[in-house]
Amino acid sequence: MRKSFSRIGTLTVRNIKEIARDPLSLIFIFAMPLAMQILFYFTFHKMTPQFEMKYLAPGIVLFSQAFLTLFMGLLIALDRTTSFLTRLYVSEAKAYEFILSYALSALPIVFIQSVLFFLVGGIIDPKIFGAGMLLALLLSLFTSLTFLGLGILFGCLCNEKSIGGVASIVIAGQSLLSGMWFPMEGIPKGVLTLMNVLPFRNATTLVQNALNGAPASFKAFGLPILVVAAYALGFLTLSIFVFRNKMKAK
Amino acid sequence: MTAIKIDKLTKKYKDLTAVDSLSLEIVEGELFSLLGVNGAGKTTTIKMLSGLVIPSSGDAEILGHSILREPDKIKGLIDLSMQETAVARKLTVRENVRFYAALSGQSKEEIEKSERYVFDVFGLGEVSGKKASELSGGWQRKLSIALALITKPKILFLDEPTLGLDVLARRELWAAIKNLKGKMTIILTTHYMEEAEALSDRIGIMKSGKLVFTGTKEELFEASGEKSVEDAFVRLVTEGGYHA
Repeated sequence: MRKSFSRIGTLTVRNIKEIARDPLSLIFIFAMPLAMQILFYFTFHKMTPQFEMKYLAPGIVLFSQAFLTLFMGLLIALDRTTSFLTRLYVSEAKAYEFILSYALSALPIVFIQSVLFFLVGGIIDPKIFGAGMLLALLLSLFTSLTFLGLGILFGCLCNEKSIGGVASIVIAGQSLLSGMWFPMEGIPKGVLTLMNVLPFRNATTLVQNALNGAPASFKAFGLPILVVAAYALGFLTLSIFVFRNKMKAK
Repeated sequence: MTAIKIDKLTKKYKDLTAVDSLSLEIVEGELFSLLGVNGAGKTTTIKMLSGLVIPSSGDAEILGHSILREPDKIKGLIDLSMQETAVARKLTVRENVRFYAALSGQSKEEIEKSERYVFDVFGLGEVSGKKASELSGGWQRKLSIALALITKPKILFLDEPTLGLDVLARRELWAAIKNLKGKMTIILTTHYMEEAEALSDRIGIMKSGKLVFTGTKEELFEASGEKSVEDAFVRLVTEGGYHA
């Protein structure tokens, strides 16, 4: 067990360095969402409630997490195609150790994203500062597992050329099916059902409710947590299964 | 003691038989070179022995463990340097060494020792702070091979290790491999006859998936009637086979 923890730690540190040293990923993970947060707030917040900081900041946090799907997928796809992983398959590391290390390596990035966007949001609109922000920060780490699970799964299945297209579906899904950019009124019932079944709206609502101090209830927290947890667990388990299959000799 | 015992190992891809009923024994501490033209089955053999490819039939034992029944027990006993460069792209040379050494379970002191070994033996110290992706192809190759040597496996597979290296780098690697002789069992595939001649205890020659010769350099000369490994190799792959 000690050896396993040590291997997970070693792999995690390596993955963090690989992600952090890619300037393009840093632009998409931090700079672009930050620019959108500032631009959208000052352009639209008086016209649409969606762009008030109490909704916009959690929305941006989740939107930036969707980009992690792309970069996590790219990292794994590149590891696979450059023989790096093939070589590591000969080592004693197990499939779950690889998957855990990929997921863990993104959590510090998620934490920095959330702190940055909530902090900037709070500086622009101090009303969002409060105990809710701490809970929102914690829950944003939890919601990121869905996007990371998807990224790891895509990375196991796709090559580095196709990963961009596949991950953009998730980014589009987060934009269109989370309700972060437009009001929910007038949305057709079928689409609304789809939004409630998929993780995007549930994850966004969860972090928004936490930030805005919504009273604790099953609808506000319990249900979104269950939906997001189910997707995260499903994606991560499936990733381990697919990764283990790829590790096996053919 | 036998390190590797291969019994009728075969790999078929649809109509192509990449490795055809290969049987061979390699003793502990031996350096065995596998020669053959492109497509002879050398890499497929190494991939089967290292658990990356499942044989179609036959089996092999690595230090007493079957590659079919106990693949997990083999991990940790072996390491592999592939034909392709396999390094962490955005880690520096030093970080790559530390990463591989730590992953193989080395202590802090052992990791530092591995670092010194790589810097001294391969001259990688002068580029230790550079990211692997910023190195030239030759330096990347050197790093990739060096990483396989630091994990101190019981059995080391080197698949065309000097491919793409200049003469000086090749000689450096030869010296490093010679230094490892007797400390671990090494199976080396190569296209360079002088490499096999300089390093091997025994040589195996593969042709169309079959092992057509196994024996020492002297036995190879005797079997072929030639006086160099290259001439003997050409004669054997264009004519028949012989097992010492």
